[in-house]
Amino acid sequence: MTEANTYNKPLPVPSPETEAFWEGCKRHELLIPRCDKCGSHWFPPSILCPECLSTEWQWVKASGKGKVFAFGVYHRVYHQGFKEEVPYTVAVVELEEGPRMVSNVTGIPPTDVKVDMPVEVYFDDVTPEATLYKFKPA
Amino acid sequence: MTTNLSGKYAIVGVGQSAIGQVGGVSSTNLLAIAMKNAIEDAGLTNKDIDGLVSRGTDEIYCHHQKMGELMGMNVSYSNSLDSGGASQIMAIMLACQAIETGLCNTVVCGYGRDTWSRTRSPRSKMAVDMVSQSQLGLEFGPEFGILGAPVDYAFALSRHQALYGTTKEQLGHIAVTLRKHASKNPLAQMQTPITMDDYANARWIVEPLNLLDCSLLSDGAGAVVVTTAERAKDLKQPPAYILGFGSHNNLRGWYHNDHMTNTAAIQSSQAAYRMAGLGPKDIDTAQLYDCFTYMLMAELEDYGFCKKGEGGPFVASGALDLDGEIPTNTSGGQLSEAHVEGMLQILEGARQLRHQYPIERQVPNAEVALISGHGGRTVCHSTLILGRQPS
Ligand SMILES: [Zn+2]
Repeated sequence: MTEANTYNKPLPVPSPETEAFWEGCKRHELLIPRCDKCGSHWFPPSILCPECLSTEWQWVKASGKGKVFAFGVYHRVYHQGFKEEVPYTVAVVELEEGPRMVSNVTGIPPTDVKVDMPVEVYFDDVTPEATLYKFKPA
Repeated sequence: MTTNLSGKYAIVGVGQSAIGQVGGVSSTNLLAIAMKNAIEDAGLTNKDIDGLVSRGTDEIYCHHQKMGELMGMNVSYSNSLDSGGASQIMAIMLACQAIETGLCNTVVCGYGRDTWSRTRSPRSKMAVDMVSQSQLGLEFGPEFGILGAPVDYAFALSRHQALYGTTKEQLGHIAVTLRKHASKNPLAQMQTPITMDDYANARWIVEPLNLLDCSLLSDGAGAVVVTTAERAKDLKQPPAYILGFGSHNNLRGWYHNDHMTNTAAIQSSQAAYRMAGLGPKDIDTAQLYDCFTYMLMAELEDYGFCKKGEGGPFVASGALDLDGEIPTNTSGGQLSEAHVEGMLQILEGARQLRHQYPIERQVPNAEVALISGHGGRTVCHSTLILGRQPS
């Protein structure tokens, strides 16, 4: 946990469709939508299933297990909040339920990260109001 | 019913503004200069133009209206586009469709930007290494430090490397070859040749992309005039006939399916080849959208100039040289000439077909040029095939 008054990185700006997702993160649950009609999962959350356009769906708790689909390592500082973080690893993670989401991969030197490497979610309570989902090697 | 428009329309005028580190002129006014130059190149005046399709920096509302105001034009057809770097070829496609359906006869199309002025010039108000507020007010990106344009292509390259063993050294050949082309272009933003050592020592931006994998921050504009092949015969310049065009947009996103490594260029190129009745073997020069070295390499595969996965060895073989298998981005591209979102590639394709370049810049016997556009949220793609002859 980083103290709120020193946390100087951007915070997520939820939309009406993603508020429940970020609330889930605060409870350390990774919630994703699952379609009642066709069973597919998707991300980011939205009002209907992009596969079959059904508006009948539920939030389900993802296992949090997945693999690195693609990654990159930031060396350039685009935002002063990350000045002390470079080099840091960002990735597209594919969850075992199917959807892909961007995040950080931590707990491993950037040079050791590999495509298809298994990872699992953890939660970083960056401020009292915001919790981020991140991944570490599984 | 299908109507084949191949060879029915032509680019009859091309023009550009000053490009590179220009400063002191806004993007719409740079584009006005480019449009004036294109119209005059065709031997026409603003009174001869009855269509306008444009794009500029994305915050300008109703961009085509602003351009008409600057150009003193009321027109029967105009519009502005919103597909990033794919828009500039889409503008030409729209021009052909508008003329075909009787909406207008002679259309000016173009794009202008002032990115260097905004981000790097001494007068810039934006601090270097900062990103815009609009990019920060989002989720699923900025909170993880995912900012700026290079990251999506870094993701894609990481996958291409894992799937096909593509090396950084291979990509270096793209940067070095395009700089060599730019060194013969007196208007290019970067004319000093670079070596493979320079490439290997360039600082990382978002690994696996380094500074020399990234296109330039430029000011500049380009424009073309499109009209019927019939009318083109009476105009000043040898026409570049529009033999084929196509587009494809993977709207579900860059992270979906295998879109990063099998890009929308696959379907876009097939549509354009089909319309033109041509294939990759018939193309004499390619002007490909090179926002990053990776994208150019992926397009070489997706356009069928080499097999999927073999882009690395292909570029390392010297294929992009003026006397190579497919002379590519012969004015230096966005990596070295200037990044005007694909507009300068359209001009270079048309100019190569005029055979007016000095010998050190001319693709020998260039009869057919292929041009690509790519952008939006990295998923919109467009293709244009031009010919020295209408068929
Ligand atoms: Zn469904």
